[in-house]
Amino acid sequence: MAPAHDLKRVLQSAAETHRPAVDPADDLARAQTAARARTRRRFRAGLAGVATVAVLAVGAVVVTDRDQPAAPGQAQGADHGTGHGTGTGTGHGIELVSKRLDATPYTFDLTPKGWAVQGQDEFGVTIAPTDGSVSDSPYDFEGKLVIMFDPRPPGGRPVDLDGRRFWITGDSGYTTISTRTLPGEPDGAVRIQYPDDTGWTEDTMLAFTASVHVGPGAQHGVG
Amino acid sequence: MRDDERSTEFVAFTRAHRTDLVRTATLLCAGDEAFAEDVVQTTLTRLYLSWSRVRRADSALAYARRSLTHAFIDEARRAHRRRETTLADPANALAVEPATPGSDPELREIVLSALASLGPRQRAVVVLRHWHDLDVAETAKALGCSPGTVKSQNARALAHLRDVLGAADHDLILEVS
Repeated sequence: MAPAHDLKRVLQSAAETHRPAVDPADDLARAQTAARARTRRRFRAGLAGVATVAVLAVGAVVVTDRDQPAAPGQAQGADHGTGHGTGTGTGHGIELVSKRLDATPYTFDLTPKGWAVQGQDEFGVTIAPTDGSVSDSPYDFEGKLVIMFDPRPPGGRPVDLDGRRFWITGDSGYTTISTRTLPGEPDGAVRIQYPDDTGWTEDTMLAFTASVHVGPGAQHGVG
Repeated sequence: MRDDERSTEFVAFTRAHRTDLVRTATLLCAGDEAFAEDVVQTTLTRLYLSWSRVRRADSALAYARRSLTHAFIDEARRAHRRRETTLADPANALAVEPATPGSDPELREIVLSALASLGPRQRAVVVLRHWHDLDVAETAKALGCSPGTVKSQNARALAHLRDVLGAADHDLILEVS
């Protein structure tokens, strides 16, 4: 009769390694070298950014959220419809600019200032801050927005905004806002996962989620 | 946060948890030790660069494991692009392993070969779900996909592992958690 194994024990056995321990000082030296390189990159990017900001300031309608960043799934004020006026930046929150962000087949009417599309396909989009604080890989989702298209109905705490319903859930450092696609778009739910510690408030998350359009060619995530 | 404070904490964390990360990477990389070491080094560097996030995490080790998984998937995709023109069908590679079951080293080789024949994300699902005991929702969040995707990937991966281990005269008991 064949021997039987439970998966956990099998994986335990397979994970065993007899490599000698590595001195943490080597890891530290490697990491400090990377940190210095990043500082140099940011310095150069900062110089370029000064010029870019001057250009963007002309003609752009800035949507500013005056609130402080929200805790996961926490409401911030009853009037969610006032976030689209012009205003000044707080220095901490996310600024949404009324500029089209294209990540075909997904498009957004608003663009979060200082963020850019990092990866896109028919199943979703990854949007990352451009300050170099996160991985360059679109498959690494730490600290980034992840836009998903899902066949399942939305769930969570309901919030109504401009006649449209959104659902908010939050845990483990992320807040997810879902809404049904608009009439004429492929049927399903759009979900956007926001990292909690990057300046997004509930108002800016709702405004940005409301601005997404799902175009032809978008496909549901498998499952 | 001062650099020397960050460095002190980083060294303490690395000393305490590097072995755990290497073991996880060994599974994710299906026994390719050089690849696993690359992934661990990449992960530790990323952790250092975002150490404030590590400090704020509920569990620094859990945060590190998630980062490790992302680093692995990232590197695996690049590696796949580099290797896809030279490697044979990985499923066929299982056949060349002489399976003489009965000892743990043999079982280890069979399991690592079976893991190697899974796609990177399927392998990550197996490791997160069955090695780190994350639930479906936690796994989905770590991988940035839907819970449905985790379930389907997990089901396919386990079916494949059962087939491979069964062919090698081992049975696999799957405990549903």
